[in-house]
Amino acid sequence: MEKHIPEYMLSALDAQGIDTSGLIFAIHTDSVDKGGNTDVYIALDSNNLYILRGWEKVVKTAGARRIVAVYEADELEVHPLSELGDLSCELLLSTGRLLSEKDDATNILLVFSLGFLSDIEKLIRVIKNIREGKQPFEEVTVDDELFCPKCGTRYPEPERKLCPKCMDKVSIARRLMGFFAHYRAKVAVIFMTMLAGSLFSILSPYIGTKFYFDEVLTEGGSYYGAVLGVILVMLAVRAIGTGLNTLYSLVLAKTVPWIIQDLKLKIFEAMQRLSVGFYTSKRTGSLMNRINQDATNIYWFFVDGLPYLAVNIFTFTGVIILMCILNLKLALICVTIVPIAILLFKYLWSVFRRFHHKNWVYSSQLNSMVSDSVHGQRVIKAFAREDEEAERFAQVGGKQSMVEIQSFNTGYTAFPLIYLFMFIGQVLVTIIGGNMVLNREITLGTLLTFIAYLSMLYGPLEFMSWVSNWWARCVDSAQRVFEIIDAKPDVTEPENPVILDRIQGNIELKGVTFEYEPAKPVLKGLDLSVKAGQMLGIVGKTGAGKTTMANLIARLYDVTEGTITIDGVDIKQLSLSQLRKSIGIVSQDIYLFIGTIADNIRYARPDASMEDVIRAAKAASAHDFIMALPDAYETRVGAGGQDLSGGEKQRLSIARTILQDPDILILDEATAAMDTETEASIQKALAELQKGRTTIAIAHRLSTLRDADTLAVISDGRVVESGTHKELMQKKGEYFKLYTIQLEGLKIINMDA
Amino acid sequence: METAAKLAVSALSDAIDIGILDLEKAEFYITEGGFTGLRYDGQDYSRITLRRALPVKYPDEYISVADKDNKEIGIIRSLSELRKDQYEIVMAELENRYYCPTVQEVRSVKDKLGYVYLELVLKRDDLLYKKNCAVKDVSKNIRMLDDERLAIFDVDGNRYIIQSLSKLDKKSLKRLEPYLF
Repeated sequence: MEKHIPEYMLSALDAQGIDTSGLIFAIHTDSVDKGGNTDVYIALDSNNLYILRGWEKVVKTAGARRIVAVYEADELEVHPLSELGDLSCELLLSTGRLLSEKDDATNILLVFSLGFLSDIEKLIRVIKNIREGKQPFEEVTVDDELFCPKCGTRYPEPERKLCPKCMDKVSIARRLMGFFAHYRAKVAVIFMTMLAGSLFSILSPYIGTKFYFDEVLTEGGSYYGAVLGVILVMLAVRAIGTGLNTLYSLVLAKTVPWIIQDLKLKIFEAMQRLSVGFYTSKRTGSLMNRINQDATNIYWFFVDGLPYLAVNIFTFTGVIILMCILNLKLALICVTIVPIAILLFKYLWSVFRRFHHKNWVYSSQLNSMVSDSVHGQRVIKAFAREDEEAERFAQVGGKQSMVEIQSFNTGYTAFPLIYLFMFIGQVLVTIIGGNMVLNREITLGTLLTFIAYLSMLYGPLEFMSWVSNWWARCVDSAQRVFEIIDAKPDVTEPENPVILDRIQGNIELKGVTFEYEPAKPVLKGLDLSVKAGQMLGIVGKTGAGKTTMANLIARLYDVTEGTITIDGVDIKQLSLSQLRKSIGIVSQDIYLFIGTIADNIRYARPDASMEDVIRAAKAASAHDFIMALPDAYETRVGAGGQDLSGGEKQRLSIARTILQDPDILILDEATAAMDTETEASIQKALAELQKGRTTIAIAHRLSTLRDADTLAVISDGRVVESGTHKELMQKKGEYFKLYTIQLEGLKIINMDA
Repeated sequence: METAAKLAVSALSDAIDIGILDLEKAEFYITEGGFTGLRYDGQDYSRITLRRALPVKYPDEYISVADKDNKEIGIIRSLSELRKDQYEIVMAELENRYYCPTVQEVRSVKDKLGYVYLELVLKRDDLLYKKNCAVKDVSKNIRMLDDERLAIFDVDGNRYIIQSLSKLDKKSLKRLEPYLF
């Protein structure tokens, strides 16, 4: 039998007299209900739930991830499963409660901090499975250890399972390099020219000083007196070096944008594949915001960072090797300066990073204030708060100025000090080298070459002291990008999808439960059905779960529990593209893409003829207003295009759906934001659209649903009433209440419901 | 003008009653199931929710009391107006909802690939204990609540608070310094 019990818990549970051999599942949470924080071990066997409270003392030892030296038990509660009620979680602010509900009585079993919610939810699921006679771990994934198995660091986000300490930066780098695979030849040219360019840069001082002084200007040198010739060689070396640098810059400029384009395209394609849930989840919300920033980080690292890293490493190594060849003793003196300089640069950059971060925060605050002020000018003026706003701006601006002053001061004092330190190194080399020249140990040319090479080390040293941070940022960005590329959509096409000849439109929802966020079910075992060609009206208060239900039928999300069938087939088995093409949704949120009105109507069927487009527009009562626009069907809409009213946009979206010709139509508050006159004209268009199709209409204004074959009232995620308008009015229940309230409201403004 | 403003204010207060609870008529109690209940003005609410109107600056003032269906029963103007036993019940419920351990010491702060790892020493009653946590988007999740108090929100949704930065030891302060704004 499958079991999941962390080994370190066994001794503590055993000490309480629990037969650990019979345990099925155990989790480690905390308990905060006594004003503090205790370590709680919750264990489960087939008969009992054990809640052991106490304190865990963790000792780290070399080689082991972590071991528990002592568990000080405080109290043990044993809850026989037969006596426990239905378990559920209630979320508070930064805590949650594990509740047991039986015979109308609810008990709090535990108050835990939010980080343990997913474990508690798993526990609830396992208990439910046991009670239902299923395998305990059916549909339960118990793989998320909270700690990295390699180093014991807690995963920052358990669902990502990425340990920043152990993250395999090499494999990420290799994968990033994979994007260069198509451009192998160009990349080879870039690196070869870059390295050759560096080689010529390194050779330059050698020819310009050592060779020139020792072989040309010194009597007895192999090219004594050949000044012009050597100068020409020097010029040639410099020219070739410059030529190579220009060449690699040109090839680089032509290659990297394409690589980044490939990367962006891959991200975009991956985004199209992902389910709606991906975009609405909190975690990925921030992820999406960062996409542009991440692509830019990667771009700059590859354009600026990587080539210079290669050049600098090559230059650094080349210079050190040449120094060693020229004179080992002097080379060793130079090398001792290197680590000290690296440490100094590193420290300085950490200080600068702090300033930059502060500066960034203040400038974001200032930007927000400017944006606030621009958008809120009417309010600011209406409340005469101009001076206060300026004062607020001045305060943050003042803080930012202070940070900038500190940053400048540090830069202006610390960098010259580091360069002074390096100059002292140079002086040291000059003194020792000078003596060596006098003692004829080395030539003057060698000394001058050394001094020139020493100054060539500054650049690479400074670069290498901060490139690691740059690289870290790039890897972080790459990680996020790969996360999107690798993300698996929640809603997936079945392996062998069922393709129906024609969708009739019989829809049935059985025991449908759904939650966007853990422990917050929106639908709770909802049962509903609608026959082909009929209209079902859904009524309920805001937040009752009406739109969620529509989204589930279109499989924008998958149900948490229960099934939805269309013509008797579970929608999870149906071909996703057939399902989506068969369902038309007209909702309150209308989105028009950038393009012409004709393009937007044609979105569902790009091959539709212009006559069909006009036909759809006429059916949607949109033709007249379109023709009144100067560019008619060629009017550009969407961001930056012609402004259309809410009613006009809605009519375009209806035209789009008419052209789609779906078998099932979902009207989700389609006319909620319209004035009465517009609504009346849109209702006419909708009536046209509904003919012969299964229609699910969600509406706040009950008057629009009077013609529905069946009406269902949803409240708190369940259907509380259903029937025809007449039946429900006679029943005098929830629907009657809602209808009467609306009728009264409309009477006040002299309108009929 | 001043008079007019005053008049307007008094007119508003006459027109709208914010529903301050008459604590003489209120009795908070703990139910068998462990929930907080309230008997008020002849009514028995067996499961109430308490929420702070000003959780940052004045956590003990203007506490909203709502019933099981989230309908507000009334507002406690100040917890100091409660009797000791009543205060303890209300406070325990609030502490459950707004659970936020106090940071005594910051042992280490490491910035790795977009996450800041903190090793904190927290205080519970008189007992100190260690907690490791990870924070993402530091500019949002490590933030000053006022001139003295600093809140830390980790990736799990837990909150920690430093009650007084000026009283924090120098080493801890230095470790946190890059993230303080």
